[in-house]
Amino acid sequence: MLSFLLIILAAAFFTGIIIRTKSIASGRKGPGLFQPIKDVIRLFKKGTVYSETSSFVFRIAPTIYFSSVFVAMLVVPFGQSKGLISFNGDFIFFAYVLGLGKFFSIIGAMDTGSSFEGMGASREALYSMFAEPAFFILMGSLALLTGHTSFQEIFATLHLGSSITYALGGLAALVFLMIAMIENSRMPLDDPKTHLELTMVHEVMILDNSGFDLGLILTAGYLKFAIYGAIIFNLFSGTISYGYAIPMFLVVQAFLAFVVGMIESFMARFRMNHNAQFIVVLSSVSLLIFFGALLVSGKFI
Amino acid sequence: MVELINLSWIIALLAVIALLLVPANIKAYTAAFGVVANAITTSWLAILALTGQLVSFTFYGGNIMGDMLIRVDQLSAWFILIINFTCITGVFYGSGYLKAYDNSAKKLSMHWILFILFQLSMVWVCMIQHGLMFLIAWEIMSLSSMMLVIFDSHNPKTLKDGINYLVQMHISVVFLTIGFIWVYFQTGSFSFDAFSTYFGLNSNIWLFLVFFVGFGLKAGFIPLHSWLPHAHPAAPSHVSGVMSGVIVKLGIYGIFRVASYLRSDNLMLGEILITISVLTGLYGILNAAVHRDFKKMLAYCTIENIGIIGIGIGIGLIGLGNHVPILYYLGFGGALLHVLNHSLFKSLLFYSAGSVYQQTHTRDMEKLGGLIKSMPRTAVIFLIGAIAIGGMPPFNGFISEFLIYSGLIEGIKLHDMTQITMMVLTFAGLSIIGGLSVLTFTKTFGTIFLGTQRQPLQHKPHEVSSLMLIPQYVIIVAMLSVAIFPRIYLEVIGNILSGLTKSTIIPQPVEFAGYISTMQSISLYSLLFICTIAVFWGIRMLALVGKSQVVGATWGCGYTAGTSKIQYTAKSFSKSLGKTFDFIVIERKQYEELKAGEIFPKEKKYTSHYHDFFEFRFIRIITNRLIYSANYFKFIQNGRIQSYVLYGIVFIIAIFILTIFKIVP
Repeated sequence: MLSFLLIILAAAFFTGIIIRTKSIASGRKGPGLFQPIKDVIRLFKKGTVYSETSSFVFRIAPTIYFSSVFVAMLVVPFGQSKGLISFNGDFIFFAYVLGLGKFFSIIGAMDTGSSFEGMGASREALYSMFAEPAFFILMGSLALLTGHTSFQEIFATLHLGSSITYALGGLAALVFLMIAMIENSRMPLDDPKTHLELTMVHEVMILDNSGFDLGLILTAGYLKFAIYGAIIFNLFSGTISYGYAIPMFLVVQAFLAFVVGMIESFMARFRMNHNAQFIVVLSSVSLLIFFGALLVSGKFI
Repeated sequence: MVELINLSWIIALLAVIALLLVPANIKAYTAAFGVVANAITTSWLAILALTGQLVSFTFYGGNIMGDMLIRVDQLSAWFILIINFTCITGVFYGSGYLKAYDNSAKKLSMHWILFILFQLSMVWVCMIQHGLMFLIAWEIMSLSSMMLVIFDSHNPKTLKDGINYLVQMHISVVFLTIGFIWVYFQTGSFSFDAFSTYFGLNSNIWLFLVFFVGFGLKAGFIPLHSWLPHAHPAAPSHVSGVMSGVIVKLGIYGIFRVASYLRSDNLMLGEILITISVLTGLYGILNAAVHRDFKKMLAYCTIENIGIIGIGIGIGLIGLGNHVPILYYLGFGGALLHVLNHSLFKSLLFYSAGSVYQQTHTRDMEKLGGLIKSMPRTAVIFLIGAIAIGGMPPFNGFISEFLIYSGLIEGIKLHDMTQITMMVLTFAGLSIIGGLSVLTFTKTFGTIFLGTQRQPLQHKPHEVSSLMLIPQYVIIVAMLSVAIFPRIYLEVIGNILSGLTKSTIIPQPVEFAGYISTMQSISLYSLLFICTIAVFWGIRMLALVGKSQVVGATWGCGYTAGTSKIQYTAKSFSKSLGKTFDFIVIERKQYEELKAGEIFPKEKKYTSHYHDFFEFRFIRIITNRLIYSANYFKFIQNGRIQSYVLYGIVFIIAIFILTIFKIVP
């Protein structure tokens, strides 16, 4: 329950911090921290426009996408306290629920019969497919390291003691951050601020969404960032008491948002056909973590 | 309960006779009646077996066959129930699907007689535990299914695919025969129980591999899969549904059967099986992603699911080898449950794809589009099948894939580095398979059902008849029952598994009970997921009350003269994937370059095809060589009756001389 509230709280300012960091880095004053939330609320109040080729799939897709992110959020724990949903192997449920959301957001884009939206849909499907093994190898390694198989138990018993486990924790945080970037279609892969349909990934999929549906999609994006931020925080939280953990959580989230903002300010996006290579590199980093975990657990012969 | 076994073939015989007599328009119903009656009798046997009363009897089959054992044990029972369910939905769907052929009575009676034989032989394959008789039932099954495939026999392409299937099935029979004769020479018995003796005394690995090749050809493990992508598209859809749903699973049944007798080498075999299976899964789904013939896509997807089932079996074998019962239960259990699940959603997908084919007469998804408006029910059915086959909650595919994933996680707790690494890599492989199946099915669903019609069709498509829809609804209900009450199914599987291995009885570990309750809670969480969707949908409806809802043109980036041809195509959807893996999915293009000096270019043609890697790189080359060398023996078949008579005489003389000189006994 605690994680649920904290993730929502973090989601409220995460994207705001990213935008603020970017604007300050480029020498602008920039909008307030809660501007993204205000945008979404404005969208929720608006009417909608549908494409004439679309069917009920297009109407229901944003709702299912948002619900999938919402249910995935319930799985994520906060330090010692479980998420609302917790069982052995819950991270598989987490990944597959998000997968269902993605499935619907893709067919929602295909439903408009547009010449662009399929492009973004195919890229989204391809990139998330490539990112999948990184997540699973990483979770498998953490299961190997701790001997547990649910998010909460893994994070509760993940003690960062020796220098090698710190290295593993750092690498794992990197992988999760990059997965978050892929899931949200952020900078090294996709520029959310681009204005050319041919080079967009996520943005081009939602060209035809408007009003409440667009609001749902944007909110889901904010939540996703906060979810991955929470996972990264859990990597390091260990057994510290709530009095320290809650402020630390907010600081970690703010720091991650700052990092994302800095990456977006100072990096150029990759060439489209190099994205696949970049994502596959994540899997090899995960493999590194796996071999590190083998070493630590003394099973490396 | 022996009477029930006899009843099953008597019913089939009566149905065959009746089919010859009744008029064409009720042939389908007669067949349906026969299939249902047969299904009830054999399912009764199966349910008896599942409740603990094993039915078995032997009868004497003459000098050659010896005592033949027919036994319905729990493993057979599981497969018999799956066969019967899929055959029933198949026969009802098929009776709607073949309505258009009511005027060709001969073709119909042939088809339905074969269908009844097909069901009977499949059920008998599961019951017979005697090598030679098993081969006979196996052969009837292959032949009847081959004849079912070539229903559309005036099409030379269909005939060719049918013959391809026939040839490959006979290669499979060769391996099975070698296996059974091998056991016979070592133990002197054709009975399946002789495996136990054989495996107790000899090395396990080679015999298992011989059977694996034999059964793997049926199941479609790579590189033995190449009949599937030809036979499934060629067959009428209810036949492809049943073939993909169950006939392929009988290969899995065979592997399970032989694996249950294994005594040693489990570890090695498990590792081999897992490796082949992961590659099968990846290869299958990768090919499924690029093909534009939607039935071919589904056939490749079957190969992928066989890979997933194989991963389960491999985990189980590794569990046996390491004496870790939970691995055995999760692996084999996941495989058995996935056999059920795949038979459900794959037949569902083939039936709904068949409905599309019946209405549009094309299997090329690039020619379709926007069918969700004219065939909304079929579209929703296909969507449900697509979600389930991707292994996503809230449907049944997730339950079995989760079991297999759990097996892999439990496997990570093993102590051997090689095995742990293998488990983690399989984990990653399975996740890639999941990701690719999202890509494949969003592409297929999006192209066929969403957007607008890409090319004009000859007839306007309509929703199919309710005779075709109802079997599909029934399948969806069965799928939901697995998703909502996994406990029932898992307890049955637990019972099957505790009595499966012949060497030692492996008691059900406590962890498995824990996993069963986990699965039950997962189905609750899936329901929670559905409720969440419903709640947010309700909020959305409330929020939209009184707001303007306008319908306008799709965003065209300022271009207002768009046609349906500017839609994103299936080919381009999977193009970047195909390019990344172009060393596996081989693309061949045919086009003419613009020549120098061609100032006014004429209309050009551009075609591109994807080839099957193994077929293109290996099988084609081998068969070409074979045909080439077979040319040298053409003089034997010269068309002169005199020489044929001469061959006979030479043969008789040869036998005569050989027996006189006691060279052959």
